[in-house]
Amino acid sequence: MTALVERPTTAPTGSGSSAPKPAAPILPTTPTRQAIDVVSTTATMLALVATWAAVQMLFLGGLSQQREQSALYDQFRGELAAATAPMGPVTPLGDPVALISLPHLGVEQVVVEGTASSDLLAGPGHLRNTVLPGQVGTSVLLGRAKTYGAPFGSIARLRLADTIRVVTAQGAKQFSVIGVRRAGDPLPQPRPEGAARIVLASAEGSGRFADLTPGEVVYVDAEAKKGFPAPAGLPTAVPDPEQPMGTEQGALPLLALCLGLLLAMTLGVIAARQRWSAATVWVITTPVVIALAWQTTDVVMRLLPNLL
Amino acid sequence: MKRVRIAAAVGLIAGLAMGGATTAPTTAQGAASTADDGAAAYTQTKHLNRTITIEGQELEIDARDVTVTASRTTDLRGRERIDIGWSGAHPTGGRAASPFGEHGLNQEYPVVILQCRGVDDASLPPEQQLSPSTCWTSTRQQRSQLVDETQAVWRHDKWGTDIDIAQKSGLAPIPPECQDVELFSTRITPFVGASGTVYASCTAETMAPEAAVGAAFPPAELAAFTDAEGNGSVKFEVRSAIENESLGCSDKVACSVVVIPIQGISCRDDNRECMKAGRFLPGQSNFANEGVDLSVSPSLWWSPSNWRNRFSIPLEFGLAPDACDVLDSRPPTGFYGSELMAQASVQWSPAYCLDKKRFKFQHNKMSDEAGFALMENGGGVAALVSSKHDAKGTDPIAYAPIAVTGFSIGYIIDRPDNAGEFTDLRLNARLLAKLMTQSYLASERGRGHPGMSANPVSFNLDPEFQALNPGLDTIAREAAATMLSLSEGSDVLTSLTSYIAQDKQAMEWINGEPDQWGMAVNPSYKKLKLPVAEWPLLDDYVPPTHDECYAQNPAPYFTQVAAPINSLRKIAEAVLDAWPNVQTKCERATSTDPWKIGRIDRQGVGTRMMLGLVSVADARRFGLREASLETRRGSFVGPTESAMARAVATAEPSKNGDEPFTLEMTDLIKAGNAYPGTMIVYTAARTSGLDKADATKVAEFIKIATTEGQRPGFGNGELPPGFLALKKTGATAAMFKQAAGVAESIADQSGKVDDGTDEGTQGDPESGTSEEPETSTIDGPGSVTNVSPPDPEPVPTAAPSGAGKPVKVKPTKTPKPKPVAMPDTEPVSSALAAQLIPVLLAIAILGALAASLLRLGLSRRRQS
Repeated sequence: MTALVERPTTAPTGSGSSAPKPAAPILPTTPTRQAIDVVSTTATMLALVATWAAVQMLFLGGLSQQREQSALYDQFRGELAAATAPMGPVTPLGDPVALISLPHLGVEQVVVEGTASSDLLAGPGHLRNTVLPGQVGTSVLLGRAKTYGAPFGSIARLRLADTIRVVTAQGAKQFSVIGVRRAGDPLPQPRPEGAARIVLASAEGSGRFADLTPGEVVYVDAEAKKGFPAPAGLPTAVPDPEQPMGTEQGALPLLALCLGLLLAMTLGVIAARQRWSAATVWVITTPVVIALAWQTTDVVMRLLPNLL
Repeated sequence: MKRVRIAAAVGLIAGLAMGGATTAPTTAQGAASTADDGAAAYTQTKHLNRTITIEGQELEIDARDVTVTASRTTDLRGRERIDIGWSGAHPTGGRAASPFGEHGLNQEYPVVILQCRGVDDASLPPEQQLSPSTCWTSTRQQRSQLVDETQAVWRHDKWGTDIDIAQKSGLAPIPPECQDVELFSTRITPFVGASGTVYASCTAETMAPEAAVGAAFPPAELAAFTDAEGNGSVKFEVRSAIENESLGCSDKVACSVVVIPIQGISCRDDNRECMKAGRFLPGQSNFANEGVDLSVSPSLWWSPSNWRNRFSIPLEFGLAPDACDVLDSRPPTGFYGSELMAQASVQWSPAYCLDKKRFKFQHNKMSDEAGFALMENGGGVAALVSSKHDAKGTDPIAYAPIAVTGFSIGYIIDRPDNAGEFTDLRLNARLLAKLMTQSYLASERGRGHPGMSANPVSFNLDPEFQALNPGLDTIAREAAATMLSLSEGSDVLTSLTSYIAQDKQAMEWINGEPDQWGMAVNPSYKKLKLPVAEWPLLDDYVPPTHDECYAQNPAPYFTQVAAPINSLRKIAEAVLDAWPNVQTKCERATSTDPWKIGRIDRQGVGTRMMLGLVSVADARRFGLREASLETRRGSFVGPTESAMARAVATAEPSKNGDEPFTLEMTDLIKAGNAYPGTMIVYTAARTSGLDKADATKVAEFIKIATTEGQRPGFGNGELPPGFLALKKTGATAAMFKQAAGVAESIADQSGKVDDGTDEGTQGDPESGTSEEPETSTIDGPGSVTNVSPPDPEPVPTAAPSGAGKPVKVKPTKTPKPKPVAMPDTEPVSSALAAQLIPVLLAIAILGALAASLLRLGLSRRRQS
């Protein structure tokens, strides 16, 4: 896609061997000039690809996540009103299961079922082998730290006794934070009988570029004295992609398909350029190309750690 | 021939007729129900005689002073066997192979032994007295007679009242289901059940329900054999209300064992049948089951002449095993584990539940391993185990020795030619290895098993066994190819297999070297690693067959022969009943039903041969014979208390004083006269993390068990036989001391929580979590008195670096107010996540820069 986006600007040089007729007129090509041309074009393309990826992860992804959240919120609201919201123990993947708000951070998110990379694109996810938030037991929620809206980007700033509110099918429950945990910290004390616990998990970075390097998992434990009854029959384990920092290798075939489509689009644009005017091609192909690029980046995200 | 016999009888009469007038049987010596010397709990001597009347003149033809003794009469439990002996009785003729139930009827002058409800005490109300109608028999032939006038010997009984000698007697009117014949003489001895139900007992259908054909328990009543000197002895099995509800003997309902030496009917007139003195010579056998003279047969035990000669031994039953559930409504505190303690806990538990100051003790039998695991995760307050088990959690565990007992090889083997039971079985480690590895062929069906076709069919055909135990029969039997063993894991099996493992010969044999007679190990068990806590069933040989039944039910043959069962008690009862658990009997209800394979029949008395792995305490309770095991070459040691004491004398206490003693099998063998099956049972409990109330109970139990609980006896709270009492001095002193110390530390709950650094043997928290992730969804078993949270919570500790590792969840322990040392959060990180965004941004900036600079350079060059 980048080749296409670029083409109108750098059209005259063309890239590499397939220099068609627009390349001919201006100057006779020397080997040096040709090499410089290739390197420069490659650098431009790399820059464009990287920029697009970064921009989508950090900003555009946020837009899509907001949209997802808004749709999920509507759906969950409707389900709560109709008393059809899920209560566990098994909920279809991607369905909204809870509304979590962290007033001290100004975060309000609809929690979806499932914690694989693709599920977390829409919002925080609920680890499927734990009880739902608010139920007696310990519930684990995973959320992205930097990309796609970064819903749990600042959970490490929570302090002791900060409140976390959760609304589920069984009602509203207020938790109070009992600690932020990083690698090496002791686990919290055993859960008192009848209490509900939630553990928020996300990632954070360290060092000078802490904001850009979310590589370490951070946990926030919160507890409510009395939980809702929990149904029996939880799954005993979840697959690897749903564990913290899990990746979905299963998305590779889909990525190949997306890249193939992009390549086909490129060839299509080249063909169209020979028949139609630049303006027409621009108008027709830009939205398609952006949509494809967006989709491809979403697929790439699935191959990346889920807490990113 | 008949004439000859009568002549002989008359001669006997002439010889004995000097006493003149008869006297009633006199009690020569009062009942000594509380024997001071401890040898016999009951001894009584009576003068018994028999008279006949010839031409109106009464002649005493036989007079004897018979003495009957019984070993135990108090605190009896169901199925316990007591020794009954007698002397001075008339020698038995026409001896039957089996003295039990109806099989013993065709004998002359036997000693009939029955269990009856009630006692012989004229001062008691009639319903508490015993009579023939409260005496248990398992067939109607033992109770009712329906014979021709000429055969009705009882109608000439001198001691019979007019009612007794009437044509129809015993039950009036005779119920129609008896199908009485008008012209015949009928005597019915009905059975009156504990509930008052009267069972006419004149046909098989009118017997009490426990006497049904194929009833759960074989007949216990006997018509026992008296030798030529007039002596005899038997083990008589008493039944409680649990085994026989109609008889209904319990701690509330007094019962007696009635011993009737049959001396013949005393006759009131000169009836020939009545005067008969038997057709068999003393000691002669009656294997053909020929008819006997009714006047001296056990069939008429109820006839007044016989009944008045009875010795009634009053019995007192102990509390039923479920007494605590009935008498005490408090929730029990469960101790889980070793079945070796079963007989002790039956006697111990009433001492707790009947004392309101104590807690309610309950012993739940399960494998040592399972009991220990339950104790560790809080499901039980304490475990009863007999060896060290690896702790999986972090809490420290202490072991308090509470009993010394062991396993033994129980057996029932009859000597050939009706010569009685074999009493001196000797086994060595290799014979046990042969039995356990299913290396005997069992029958010709096993002959096709590859690699062992030259092996003997059963152990009594094995030259090695014959050399140790000469004089037994050589009949091949499937039941004699195996030793009934435990199917589940147990420290008993560990101990048994370490006895095999220490023996060089046995291990060489298991490793594939045939013995000197050419017997080879079953290839499925070749090179088996011993000891093991659970015996594997490895053989899968299914014999080829044309038999319809076996073809329909193909199954590994040697596994069917071995057929281990899951409790030592069941093994002991199987040996007691001589009922092997061999599952090779083909049967079907009708000829159109499919074949089923089931347990083979009980072995007939006279040819019994069966071995079983039992606990010493069960063997003592049921009166089973126990084999001696070889220690040093040629010396054999049985499970006596002194041999067990010598065994524990070799035990080494642990260094830190709260772990099991080291009882090395090699040391036991070296000692020579120590019993190799000796085992120490411990109460294992946590010394940290146990609920305070529970900890107090466990400490209390250990204290009581090692003091009050070590008094030998049969009463509540006492130590039954089969256990070596722990004492402050002697071989068990160190155990007594450790028990006291451990009781303290359990009560204090002061144990140091293992953090995985001080001892390598206990699992560190990490391995504990990774081994049991599934427990996060299993409902936590609650302590019996203190319920733990419904589900142990999963707390994500961490997946090790990178993606794709499961989140480990840590099952937590019962909540406590004080802080608990929790494991650390494990690091989870992803280099990809950490570096992706910076790298993307760097590529974007560098690419843009490079492109712009190159473009700039290009355009400059173009201009120039």
